[in-house]
Amino acid sequence: MGIISKLPVFTENLPGGGLVTTSLNQILTMTQAKSLWYLLFGTACCAIELMATGASRYDFDRLGMIFRASPRQSDLMIVAGTVTYKMAPIVKRLYDQMAEPRYVLAMGGCAIGGGPFYYDSYSVLRGIDKIIPVDVYVPGCPPRPEALLQGCLEVGKKLRTQKLEDWSGPKNESR
Amino acid sequence: MNPAELTAYITSNFSGQLETVENDQAEPYFIVPLSDLVPFSKFIHDDPQLELNYLMNMAGVDTGEQFEVVLNPCSLVNMQRLFFKVVLDRGDPKFDTVSNLWAAANWYEREIWELYGFEITGHPNLKRFLLPDDWDDGFPLRKGWVGKNVIPLPEK
Repeated sequence: MGIISKLPVFTENLPGGGLVTTSLNQILTMTQAKSLWYLLFGTACCAIELMATGASRYDFDRLGMIFRASPRQSDLMIVAGTVTYKMAPIVKRLYDQMAEPRYVLAMGGCAIGGGPFYYDSYSVLRGIDKIIPVDVYVPGCPPRPEALLQGCLEVGKKLRTQKLEDWSGPKNESR
Repeated sequence: MNPAELTAYITSNFSGQLETVENDQAEPYFIVPLSDLVPFSKFIHDDPQLELNYLMNMAGVDTGEQFEVVLNPCSLVNMQRLFFKVVLDRGDPKFDTVSNLWAAANWYEREIWELYGFEITGHPNLKRFLLPDDWDDGFPLRKGWVGKNVIPLPEK
């Protein structure tokens, strides 16, 4: 009954227990927010902080976050590091390969807006939001693991507000 | 051989013209005429006393006045190394490949060709590998180059 009592307002606890009514949307987003698998996309030094976050001291796994090497198994793409113009089409393609609902977290100055390479650079994309929609920005150069954890919790919060119908069909194109 | 001995050995045994650059580093430094790039490389690569069989680094340079190529071979047999550079013709930057002597030069020369636009005669595989494949915006590492995507640093 521990989990059931935490379920949102649509829950009905019938006498005797054992039966719960809720919306599919609620149960799905709740489970999704608790197992946010992310696509490993470390392109620069932010990836080191990402590794530190995944290692035992900060322990990403306790948030239910496990890295996947395949975009098709991922819910969240953590872009950790500098993205160059040469890399940009690959980021876009990986995003397109992710199954919906999908979220993007831009980690660090480079992924947010080019970072230290904003001026006088011929090769660096000024922010990945030029090519894919970004849900959460985590600033820092690089951000500390705590900041990344906070960002992932923010993704979880945003995920809880999603509606299933938002993700179905061609409506998503306008996103 | 210590650096002084190395300098003396090379200048006395190489048939072509060499200019020695005095410096306070641990390695000798030569300026080689452009036409002697391959003969000099061959000499230091094959000479049994030198055997500089490994190219540690190779880079193009644009000083603003002239184009240069700097090479940094070393010997894994005798544990010694040196620097030498050639000065290219600014109007028609071009040099012969040394990738048949040092295999490492293959990628270094591709990089120089890509980022500086120096023509490299005899290179077996001149293809892009750093810039995007459809790049048509000039040579980013040349002085004074301003590309389409560059946002210049604002004046203070």
